[in-house]
Amino acid sequence: MTEPRRVQVLIIGSGAGGAVTALELARAGLDVCVLEQGSRWKVDQYGQGSVEAMRHIYRRRGMTPILGRVPIGYVEGACVGGSTEINSGFWHRTPREVLLRWKAQFDLAEAAPAQLAAHFSSAEELLGVSLYGGPQPKSTEVFKRGIDAMGWAAQEVPRAAPGCKSTNACAAGCPTGSKQGMSRRIIPEAEAAGARLVTDCGVQLLVHQGDRITGVLAELRRENGARELVRIDAEHVFVCAGPTETPVLLRRSGIKHHVGDSLRIHPMLKVAALFPERIDAQDSVLPLLQVKEFWPEISLGGAFFTPGHLAMLLSDNWLETREQMSRYRNMASYYVAVRGSGRGSVRPSLLGDGAPVLRYDLSDEDVINLSKGLARLATLLLAAGATQVHPTVHGLPTIRKEVEAIRWLDERLPRSALSLTTVHAFSSCPIGERRDRCAADSFGKMARYENLYVNDASMLPDSPGVNPQGSVMALARRNAVHFREALR
Amino acid sequence: MPSARTQRVTVAVVGLLGSAVFVTLALRHLDFRSVLSTWRTARVLPWVPFAIVSYVIGHFVRGQRLRVLVKRETILTLPTAANVVVVGYASNNVFPARLGELVRAGMLAERTGMPLSQSLTITFIERLLDGIAILVLLLVGALSLGTRPPWIWDVARVGSLIFGVALTVVLVAVFLPSIVLSTASRLSARLGARWRDRALTLATSITVAGAVLRRPRDAMAIGAYSLIVWLFEALMFAFILPVFSLDLHLAPALVVMSVTNLGILAPSSPGFVGSFHFFCSQALASQGVPAATAMGYAILVHLAFYVPVTLWGAGAILWYGIQVGATAAMARAARSSPRADTAAGVPVHVLVRLEPARPPREATEFDLALTEALLTPHGSALDGASVAEVATFLTQEMEALPARLRVMFEAGMATFRLYVRLRYVRSFCALDVAHRQAAVNSWAFGRIGLLRQLFRPVRSIALLAYYERAGVAHALALSSND
Repeated sequence: MTEPRRVQVLIIGSGAGGAVTALELARAGLDVCVLEQGSRWKVDQYGQGSVEAMRHIYRRRGMTPILGRVPIGYVEGACVGGSTEINSGFWHRTPREVLLRWKAQFDLAEAAPAQLAAHFSSAEELLGVSLYGGPQPKSTEVFKRGIDAMGWAAQEVPRAAPGCKSTNACAAGCPTGSKQGMSRRIIPEAEAAGARLVTDCGVQLLVHQGDRITGVLAELRRENGARELVRIDAEHVFVCAGPTETPVLLRRSGIKHHVGDSLRIHPMLKVAALFPERIDAQDSVLPLLQVKEFWPEISLGGAFFTPGHLAMLLSDNWLETREQMSRYRNMASYYVAVRGSGRGSVRPSLLGDGAPVLRYDLSDEDVINLSKGLARLATLLLAAGATQVHPTVHGLPTIRKEVEAIRWLDERLPRSALSLTTVHAFSSCPIGERRDRCAADSFGKMARYENLYVNDASMLPDSPGVNPQGSVMALARRNAVHFREALR
Repeated sequence: MPSARTQRVTVAVVGLLGSAVFVTLALRHLDFRSVLSTWRTARVLPWVPFAIVSYVIGHFVRGQRLRVLVKRETILTLPTAANVVVVGYASNNVFPARLGELVRAGMLAERTGMPLSQSLTITFIERLLDGIAILVLLLVGALSLGTRPPWIWDVARVGSLIFGVALTVVLVAVFLPSIVLSTASRLSARLGARWRDRALTLATSITVAGAVLRRPRDAMAIGAYSLIVWLFEALMFAFILPVFSLDLHLAPALVVMSVTNLGILAPSSPGFVGSFHFFCSQALASQGVPAATAMGYAILVHLAFYVPVTLWGAGAILWYGIQVGATAAMARAARSSPRADTAAGVPVHVLVRLEPARPPREATEFDLALTEALLTPHGSALDGASVAEVATFLTQEMEALPARLRVMFEAGMATFRLYVRLRYVRSFCALDVAHRQAAVNSWAFGRIGLLRQLFRPVRSIALLAYYERAGVAHALALSSND
């Protein structure tokens, strides 16, 4: 008997969306194949520092800036597991308020908190989502001191990192295997259930005939380094390539209905705070608390810290701040993130290899929230005992007193001086029943195509206001179950 | 649809008819006695050997250009590359309908292992560059002439139109590869899997073949080689002028060479008999040379053009054992269905092999100088190893930017270097570290937001890479303990 030349379900991408889809469908006995553009890395290859991580596990070596009046640094993973390999593992269920808003604005069906609860629970169980068990790192301790002084609402955020050894290597891949990136458990379980994973296989184009996708064209890198253009035929295709690659692949393939028109992000402004005492933030996990007092518009929390990242953070005012590098052991970094209300887009580049060109224009509200957020974060850190707060704003003097901080409650930070980053991007192919707003129906099935689905962060109708991994995994599982049931 | 045999016969007949027309046009009103007379008084030495040597050197330059065009795929020696080119020319001399181009592409595929469709595209690019170089030289020659026949501008206009369209197509394929692929996919969607695979394979081969032109340095080298090739060919035409007691000048030779080579694009018999003579003699006669002398000249140039290369090509064919039948077989193989294979147990259909991934770029002298300026603290020096390591990382990071941003970044840096040269009357690399830092800081921390944005990623990445180095972090930790 000859082997069939067509796979039943082809999943493009092995991140939070693709991995969950693969596991669910493979467990249901379907013939599943996952194509991953990046390589598969072992735990002992992780944690080699930011430079090595950028070289090997970040998409385009970490060079995918978001353009706009204020350019924003953005990174995502490009390896088996996608961005879950390089994030901090923070876990949130989608807030009830957000789900209600998605229902109201996008008519998202069957996504009430009760309907998603089982999907969240399933993912949480698989990932071992829990609170940090060890002693609170110093960077968290001082942050808590500030929160207590201000009397603000805050929470320790659960993480998908049971038994975290606090090696401070989240952003370079967890070298202890504690953090449950998709490569740790979900992909192996999907493989054990029969899913096949092809790595180093970047999909270039969806091949369609009428309203059916018949397969994909992909660039495949063999073990000997040879590269080939291959066609892989499939009955059903799930595009789970992430919030930037999914819309680009769809648009390159001529599928454009509300695709790539509504990119949303959480713009983030970072600060470095200098304390009189040793913090040694470079040796411990990042601060685990998030201030929820101003949520959903503004969140405050702790950022990844190494001497290299501190230098980047200080680089906007390097001539004045470089001397601080020698005090790095007394420093830690924190962020203010806002629920972006601006609008962005994702398009394939006309020049070169058709890489995503990301655009996002900060709204006035974003700038106001960033300004207010900086005022509050700096106030909190000063209350925690910080003697200096260095924001990533060109030309802004070091904040040493509360009065210097609170001015930003009333004033706006100058746009042209802002250095912003983000690691949260979504909503580039929103799902829902509103055909005038959505690229796909409530379960990710693309409009006008019989067998094409999106199932990753690009499907979130709008900004969730929290770290999006939980929302992506729960919705992806829900969609996969729906697909499985429909197939039956 | 006519059979392949019918197509071949049709092409051959059209070619022969074309030649007959051109022979008639060339020979009508011609006084054959005068032609013979010009031959009797011809001074063959030393000019004809000079002409042949020029032509042969031109073929080696063509070989060098071919080496650059395929260097991403393979390494060809200069003799092999020149032989590939000459086999094509020789085949055109003996086969109709420019079959030599296919033979040349076939030999290139056979020598390098690249797909025939890709080697055909490379051959097409070579011929396109030839056409553009010929047009440039025609204009140079025409502008240098005292009297210019008005039809020269018509020839230039028609040539510009043809090669302009072809150049646009190639540039789109080279610089917008994803669009070419998606367009091919869409256009072929209704043709069925077999034709769609062929269309996609062809589109990919074209974009892969032209990839070398994306590197400005290689593109410039290829353009320069193209001009040099045709300058040597023009020299061949020039050296034959004194044979017939005409003045040795490059300008008329440029015009005659250009018009002749554009003219032989018309369908004709093998070796361009008729069309070569007609266009060559007419171009020379338009500069006041008697018709009989012009025809005598055309016959001799054609012999210099035909005989050595045909002999060389025949020798090369024997040496390499190239068979026209084998080439045709390769062409058929290229048209066959995609190869079935598997990847990690998943069935795949291999359409075409792609060019190997480019090795990461190494840091240039400018990258090193810039990195040193960005990192050097006041009153101390950096070790060379740190600078080299950081500069390499920085270079490769900036190369990873999406194409549009990379172009903007490169343009920004070129402007910065120009500014430095004007401001300090020296190149950036020639400045001492303090001056380099002053120049960088004037942009990186200046008032103009755009200039700050240019340096922000460079500075951030350099600092990240520097402070992430184990030695630096250790030294910092020690100083922090003090």
